[in-house]
Amino acid sequence: MIIPKKGDAVLVQGITGRYGRLHTKLMLDYGTNVAAGTTPGKGGQSVEGVPVYNTVAEAVEKSGALASVCFVPAEFTYSAGEEALNAGIRLLVLITEHVPIRDELKLVQLAQSKGASMIGPNCPGIIVPSQKVKLGIMPATSFSPGSIALYSRSGTLTYEIAGQLTGSGLGQSVAVGIGGDPINGTTPIEWMDFVQGMGDTEAVVVVGEIGGDAEERLARHIQKSGYRKPIVSYIAGRHAPKEKKMGHAGAIIYGDYGTADSKIKALTGAGVKVAMAPSEVPLLLKESLG
Amino acid sequence: MRLFEYQAKELFKAYGLPVPRSILARDVDAIRGAFASLTPPVALKSQVLAGGRGKAGGIALVDDPTDAEREAARIFSLSIGGEKPNALLVEEAYPHDSEMYLSVSLDRGDRAFVTIAAMAGGIDVESMSGKVMRRVPLEGIDEKYAEEVASLLKLPASQSAQFVKILLSLERLSREKECELAEINPLAVGKDGTLMPLDAKVIIDDNALFRHPEFAKLHPEDEFEGEASRQGFAFVRLGGDIAVVGNGAGLVLSTLDLVGDAGGNPACFLDLGGGAQQERIEAALRLVNRLPGVDRILVNIYGGITRTTDVATGIITVLNEGGMKPVYARVSGAEEDEARRLLDGTPVLLYKTAPEAVEAVVKVE
Repeated sequence: MIIPKKGDAVLVQGITGRYGRLHTKLMLDYGTNVAAGTTPGKGGQSVEGVPVYNTVAEAVEKSGALASVCFVPAEFTYSAGEEALNAGIRLLVLITEHVPIRDELKLVQLAQSKGASMIGPNCPGIIVPSQKVKLGIMPATSFSPGSIALYSRSGTLTYEIAGQLTGSGLGQSVAVGIGGDPINGTTPIEWMDFVQGMGDTEAVVVVGEIGGDAEERLARHIQKSGYRKPIVSYIAGRHAPKEKKMGHAGAIIYGDYGTADSKIKALTGAGVKVAMAPSEVPLLLKESLG
Repeated sequence: MRLFEYQAKELFKAYGLPVPRSILARDVDAIRGAFASLTPPVALKSQVLAGGRGKAGGIALVDDPTDAEREAARIFSLSIGGEKPNALLVEEAYPHDSEMYLSVSLDRGDRAFVTIAAMAGGIDVESMSGKVMRRVPLEGIDEKYAEEVASLLKLPASQSAQFVKILLSLERLSREKECELAEINPLAVGKDGTLMPLDAKVIIDDNALFRHPEFAKLHPEDEFEGEASRQGFAFVRLGGDIAVVGNGAGLVLSTLDLVGDAGGNPACFLDLGGGAQQERIEAALRLVNRLPGVDRILVNIYGGITRTTDVATGIITVLNEGGMKPVYARVSGAEEDEARRLLDGTPVLLYKTAPEAVEAVVKVE
């Protein structure tokens, strides 16, 4: 995993679209060095003063960007991601929702073969408040610098919980939305292992939801590896019906697979404090930090 | 998108997989004709998407036309997991000695598709003993792969060749139609050793439907779900009396939990989506206001990119149209002071936090 730093040149793929434009401005306002954008056929234009190129290769050559935030529509996300990874992008943040599963799997394999990091798809991105850098669509106002690392499968819930942490004086070292799809470019285990090595991080917040077994796997990993930082979790969907996709492609219970109760039980068994509501997260963190 | 069994079996046939002879009957009148063209005994199988149809009485084995009509009438009157069967698959029974399990499915944790095969059919794949699991490469499997699975299952030579053909076809179907799951459970082993899929479960990746227009509009859509999907909302009907509306899937899911914990019954889950605008909240409120069973509306907004002032203006616009059920709202985040000022003095019941709004909306009798 690569954590973006202040000044790092960042590329925006799909910069001339409605969301690309809006979030280029908001990222620049926050402090991110958006140095180049791409939209095929729109090379030579500029968005918010950022030069637009036709290809990622050209944008990378001119700007030196090693990270990309991709807003390209789902039908074209695979080819945009492939182009970025082949052009040498080391951190690929895929914001787009509705990317087909097999396209996601192909991108995960390609990123692994290149040794690159991928976040998303269907995610708000990553923010590092102390560096005033965000690669994504999260509202800057919810976040503040500090020592809590936060990861979440959901966008707005990330902002809600970050906002509650900020309101309680608990700033964040880094926050990432890993995505609401069944396939995540960065898995919770990869993320948690990385965060364990971050010197400026005292505790971790894990925001999960129904669907899949990522939280159960994480719980086994926490136990087996003897995770050393306090963890507080919140799992959404205790009252969700079965066999229904609850907004996110990944938020679905099949039979008894993917229930909130199973996740809460596994995490609790691994020594994680699990909040029953977002508002409890700061209280449990303060307890853990003493 | 989950296919009905009969749709999945059509797909099986197109991919060269064997299936028992069957006829789809959409009402009791069609049963006699279907029965006459098949060799009894036949199974009457309710076509529903909900699980547990066997336990719910949604399958019957019949020998004569009178029984068939009586059982069909009974099954058509059932509600299986809240779902009324729109059709019965009338299918020749397949006498068999034993059952196997076979599927190609997404393993989310391993980020790969996997073949799962076992010598016993069953409901709970997780706990199946002696099951064989192998990763499926994205480019597909070959004969050697399928033969290895057959040999791990210790299939006799006569069944191994059939199994290899079935697995190759199932995997090709799964890959070409971009399924999340393609499952044969049970795969029956006939008295003469012939393998026959008796049930078929296929779930297509919703996000890949743009590449597979043949599946578009296979399901009759609920009026409200249809409208919600045209508006770009994520929407699920839940049957209670409190409509739950918010921005962001996780936030709405967490609001459902707060309502459930407080003893309330959500009528629906409605996620406005990111960057919600004034027109979107207006459209959402009009939609849930018409939903049968709804008698109050809970709006939970965390503003960021979504401007809380836009949300407030949208709520006021819809309230001014008249006929709105009571709206309980928590509007927090960017520009919330201005949003609260806009809502002050309107009929909106405004609360500072989500738990407070939930408590208030649930308490109403």
